[in-house]
Amino acid sequence: MKGDKAMDTINIVLCGLGGQGILFMTKVLAEDALRRKIPVLGAETHGMAQRGGSVVSHLRMGNAKSSLVSSGQARFLLALDPWEAYRNLPFLAPGGFLFANAPEGGGPAEEVKIYLDKLGVETRITDAGMLARKIGAPLSTNLALLGFFSSFSDGGPFSHEGLHETISLISPERFRETNLKVFEAGFEQGAKRS
Amino acid sequence: MMKEEIFLGNGAIALGLLEAGCQVVTSYPGTPSSEILPEVVRLKKSQGLNTYVEWSTNEKVALDNAFAASIAGKRSCCCMKQVGLNVAADSLMSAAYMGTVGGFVIISCDDPGPHSSQTEQDTRLMARIAKVPVLDPSGPLEARDMARIAFEISERFRIPVILRPAIRVCHARQSMAWADLRSNEARAAFQKDPGRWAATPRFRLILHRELNHKLKEIGRLFDGLSEINFHDLQEGKTYPFGIICGGVPYAVVKDILSEQSRSDIPVLKLGAPYPFPESLASQFMEQCERVLVLEETDTLIEYLLSDKDKVMGRRSGHVPQEGELIPEAVARAVNKALETCGLEVLSIGDSREVNELVKGLSLPVRKPTLCPGCPHRASFFAIRKGRSKAIFTSDIGCYTLGLNLGSVDTCLDMGAAITMASGFYHAFGQDGTRQPIIATIGDSTFYHSGTAGLLNAVYNGARFILVILDNQITAMTGMQPTPGLGIRADGTSGVAIPLERVVRGCGIDFLEVVDPYDLSTMLGTLKRATSYVQDAAGGIAVVIARHPCVIAYRKEAIPNPRKPTVTDECVSCGFCMQRFECPALYRDEKADHTMINEVLCTGCGVCIEVCPKGAIVAVGSEQ
Repeated sequence: MKGDKAMDTINIVLCGLGGQGILFMTKVLAEDALRRKIPVLGAETHGMAQRGGSVVSHLRMGNAKSSLVSSGQARFLLALDPWEAYRNLPFLAPGGFLFANAPEGGGPAEEVKIYLDKLGVETRITDAGMLARKIGAPLSTNLALLGFFSSFSDGGPFSHEGLHETISLISPERFRETNLKVFEAGFEQGAKRS
Repeated sequence: MMKEEIFLGNGAIALGLLEAGCQVVTSYPGTPSSEILPEVVRLKKSQGLNTYVEWSTNEKVALDNAFAASIAGKRSCCCMKQVGLNVAADSLMSAAYMGTVGGFVIISCDDPGPHSSQTEQDTRLMARIAKVPVLDPSGPLEARDMARIAFEISERFRIPVILRPAIRVCHARQSMAWADLRSNEARAAFQKDPGRWAATPRFRLILHRELNHKLKEIGRLFDGLSEINFHDLQEGKTYPFGIICGGVPYAVVKDILSEQSRSDIPVLKLGAPYPFPESLASQFMEQCERVLVLEETDTLIEYLLSDKDKVMGRRSGHVPQEGELIPEAVARAVNKALETCGLEVLSIGDSREVNELVKGLSLPVRKPTLCPGCPHRASFFAIRKGRSKAIFTSDIGCYTLGLNLGSVDTCLDMGAAITMASGFYHAFGQDGTRQPIIATIGDSTFYHSGTAGLLNAVYNGARFILVILDNQITAMTGMQPTPGLGIRADGTSGVAIPLERVVRGCGIDFLEVVDPYDLSTMLGTLKRATSYVQDAAGGIAVVIARHPCVIAYRKEAIPNPRKPTVTDECVSCGFCMQRFECPALYRDEKADHTMINEVLCTGCGVCIEVCPKGAIVAVGSEQ
């Protein structure tokens, strides 16, 4: 197993609903990895499934060949919707991290909590939706969650500064300022806790 | 200068085409193929290339156009989804006999799952029927390389070559390095050769013999095409078990074996499975006691392997007969095969517990729905309200989701809303029954394959109402323009052909255009259409329900957003949620009646007319 390339791959699963900006969130992480010369491979949902359905995006950093993350192999699960977080629980690897957007007090159901504890998964929940709405950008919930994610030092190969720069680089001009503002608000929220 | 970029699989294919000097690219959009042509356009513009691109009206049209460019000596390509290749099959079969001059590549994208298709059919089997070579990439980077290889094979053997990426290639993203591109300046030249380009059956026999000869040679080439067909056997060693795979399953298998450190299992990868590389496969079979075949989505390799007793796969029940070969399915199949061989199985985590847990959470079923503000929703509501007893034939597009509103009963294939409407009419008519029928078809689908069916229906005296849902875009596949708009693939203007002209040209006398947001007017139109269909002197009534797509043209679609609010008059009857099914409508437990989610609401205001109690009202109105 040692030195095995596929074993060194960092697997991330991002999920939510059509229209929540899962693809952009994936793009930020992928472009950030690319800027640091880490090979990336990922899989996206297009077509009919995008019409209000569950959207899942896979991102693999390292030398993987297949674009799909296997169940039990995701180090990070980033969920923009609590129900979708539940739906994608099988992806989480032992000792992984779950970052989810959920309303205050909307912690995981008891049976889920037991499972996550058993698996040694660190669960971090924040009301990213509320944060984005407060700034007047309800459609930027994805960036609030990314900011929150970036505030934890165990956030894998990503850093707060690096992601900030990547968002600044790839955001369309008219959204840049708002995107960064929401991202920073998410970061602050997490920094209070980490 | 080399640059590193993350490409969508379809973008990597576009890059490969242009790197290979492809001069002509045609396509009809369809998931998962839709982004290839837009990516060609993006690269062509950024690199200043002279590539000719077009959204063709359908896949057969796309194939024919690209084929002509090929026999004029240019490298050309047509792109479509797998069921699109059915539409183009007539052209494909004939083109295989006729051969090519400039490299000619047909890209047909498969959809194991299926995620966004009517079938899970396997394009490699179409290649086998047509007797043309097929390449099966395992990821974006390989798909890009295969585009080049496909052109080389096509030109060397003068044969069309199919590139078959599956959805996990098309919609994967991968980082890769690339350098600036240059235009291919080859000029068109057509060598007349009626015995080939206009071959009569007598010549076709000769062409068939020629094709068979080509296939034999290409099969031999594939035996040694070690770039994409290879194995990791050690010479002289025998193995109890090996895996033969191609395409996406290859990538999955390699990851699994590597994660599990199973270097004891040799793998034969067939990136070019047809014409079948006989000797390469035989060599692998000779050194392995048993082999497992993992391929998507049908059985091409499995059927072509000679020593069937050694083979495990779909026929033996080791591999599922339907559905995508996701990593979990591949791992299960490998373990089943290892068990059969009495070998050590993979240590795959047991996900049964967590799957049971998730199942027990009774999560909301997220079925796809029409978007908030979608004009189709208004049309379907009016159609159901106006003619609830009708048979509703429909078609392929976003509006298939009209089934959520009870206004879609059938969806066969592109254009079948019209052909099945006439079919139903005659089936019932034969018994003397006047069955009301309302067909719904989108604008792009109508241009794609509506006219032949409509001509036929008029000619043969069918009676039904046809509603063309004209949202002025091909929405489902990602907002491609239609001939009705007259905007071309690269954004330049073409000639717009209004639906009205086409409909009139099909022999239709009753034609009304209505805005479906105006429900009462639409209901009035449907009433007149019904009378016309029933009138002795009537015929087929066509209603064009025209309103721009709310996603593609938000401002034009809803220039003055309204603010619908639910008042206390609401009796929670659920009519609006059931019959109108707007995602912005929800039942609020605290308020104990229906409410409107302001974030999702687009302000189209159609729901105001929908509520039977008049409990949805507009408060003020924003400019």
